[in-house]
Amino acid sequence: MAAASTIAIVGASLTGQSAAATLREEGFDGRVVLVGAEPQLPYDRPPLSKNYLRGGMPFEKTLLRPPEFYREREIEMRLATTVVRVDIEKRALQLAGGDRLEFDNVLIATGGRNRRFPIPGLDLPGVYDLRTIADADRIRDAIVRGGRAVVVGMGFIGAEVAASMRQCGLEVTAIEPFKTPLYRALGEDIGRVVEALHRDHGVAMILGDAVAAFEGKGRVERVVTRDGRRIECELAVFGLGIEPVTEVVAGTGVRVDNGIVVDDQCRTNVPGVFAAGDVANHFHPVCGRQMRVEHWQNGVKQGAAAARSILGRGQPYDEVHWFWSDQYDANIQYAGFHAAWDAVVVRGSLAERKFLAFYMAEGRVESVVAINQGRDLRRTLPIIKARVAVDPARLADPNVDLRTLAPAERPA
Amino acid sequence: MARFVTVAKADSIQPGQIIKVEIDNFPVAVANVDGTFHAFDDTCTHEDCSLADGDLVRTAVVCPCHFAEFDVRTGAVLAPPATVPVRVYTVRVQGNDLQVEF
Repeated sequence: MAAASTIAIVGASLTGQSAAATLREEGFDGRVVLVGAEPQLPYDRPPLSKNYLRGGMPFEKTLLRPPEFYREREIEMRLATTVVRVDIEKRALQLAGGDRLEFDNVLIATGGRNRRFPIPGLDLPGVYDLRTIADADRIRDAIVRGGRAVVVGMGFIGAEVAASMRQCGLEVTAIEPFKTPLYRALGEDIGRVVEALHRDHGVAMILGDAVAAFEGKGRVERVVTRDGRRIECELAVFGLGIEPVTEVVAGTGVRVDNGIVVDDQCRTNVPGVFAAGDVANHFHPVCGRQMRVEHWQNGVKQGAAAARSILGRGQPYDEVHWFWSDQYDANIQYAGFHAAWDAVVVRGSLAERKFLAFYMAEGRVESVVAINQGRDLRRTLPIIKARVAVDPARLADPNVDLRTLAPAERPA
Repeated sequence: MARFVTVAKADSIQPGQIIKVEIDNFPVAVANVDGTFHAFDDTCTHEDCSLADGDLVRTAVVCPCHFAEFDVRTGAVLAPPATVPVRVYTVRVQGNDLQVEF
């Protein structure tokens, strides 16, 4: 690649900054431009539902890199700048306001935006969702004002927000349409453990019911459910998942299907156009199918993998996907390739909330969830990657070192 | 005034193992890397997790909560989400006494 070439990165968050940093680490001495819609330097989102939301962390601590990091590496920051479209033919970004930015290669790391459903009253003041630091600040202000809160949707974000609001002393009611929190990810048995975790911490849980409307005069005053419940509240937070932000490549010929479709080296079907992070529907070589994940670790690692791929030094990106969720005193971790399972093997105690649960398919470990068992969860990653049958009795036996169940790691 | 404090018997920590000790009620982790001992703050600089509960992979300790990694010899961050190095301490072995300068 010519030294004078320009690599543009659309999206200045976790994935984008990881890619920019990796380009410099790899010795790329051309121009690197990081374009982000938000005004802040790249910051870390996991604290937004936890420590930051509880008021225990200043904004500066959420910055992924100090400001000088970008200056020293001559990474150009174009913040508060919206990319309207990637002009593939002219190799330029069209920016809001009319500016253009020419590039030789572009990485799309636009991430996701919160899903919204046409629920009456969703736009009432006092009804919040959480994705950005600005969102977190609005919810934080509402928490400080206090009162009764309703959380709509007990996925990971909803569950973390419910926990944080309880920790701040609010009265919290959670509404979840499935039988348990995190039901789709974890199934009923483990979902019940998470339900108990929240009930034990004082969350009123409404399961198997859904929000029909947010009501109030000029501001949310209650949530009405499909089954006719009316829950009075001063604030409500909904967490209904995200959708990938792909408009910048709409109509350009770049393939979009549940995100931007890329191969195992972050390449789209158009040469010179790459994608990584939450927006990338990537081919995973270990399980042999496309997948899109919204995990912190994938943002870091796939951003770095994309950078190397742009420089012609790509390797198949074959990380075992992994994430954590901290709720109260429970460090929940999950790893693997969320898929159908035919058995769940438990190691440890569900009642004590100190265990691993292995999701099995045809004798293999497809994925694993752990509460307060991070070391063993990490030891499970090579077992998942190996895709071989494992003896369930040995998985379940806490006296068996999980490292002995994994085939020897391949040399790096 | 820094002084050496005996924290454990040297032969009680196997290669590849990390233990947690307390010095003046302050948690310190001690790792055995192929017979050489390294001491460092037990609390991860990212969030309140005990590094002694994590794995030792060659000279790296992996935090069990969020998989931040530190070099046990220098305290340097090897993997995020941690950004701040962990403090390391001088270690010596006197006879079978493992001592940490604190």
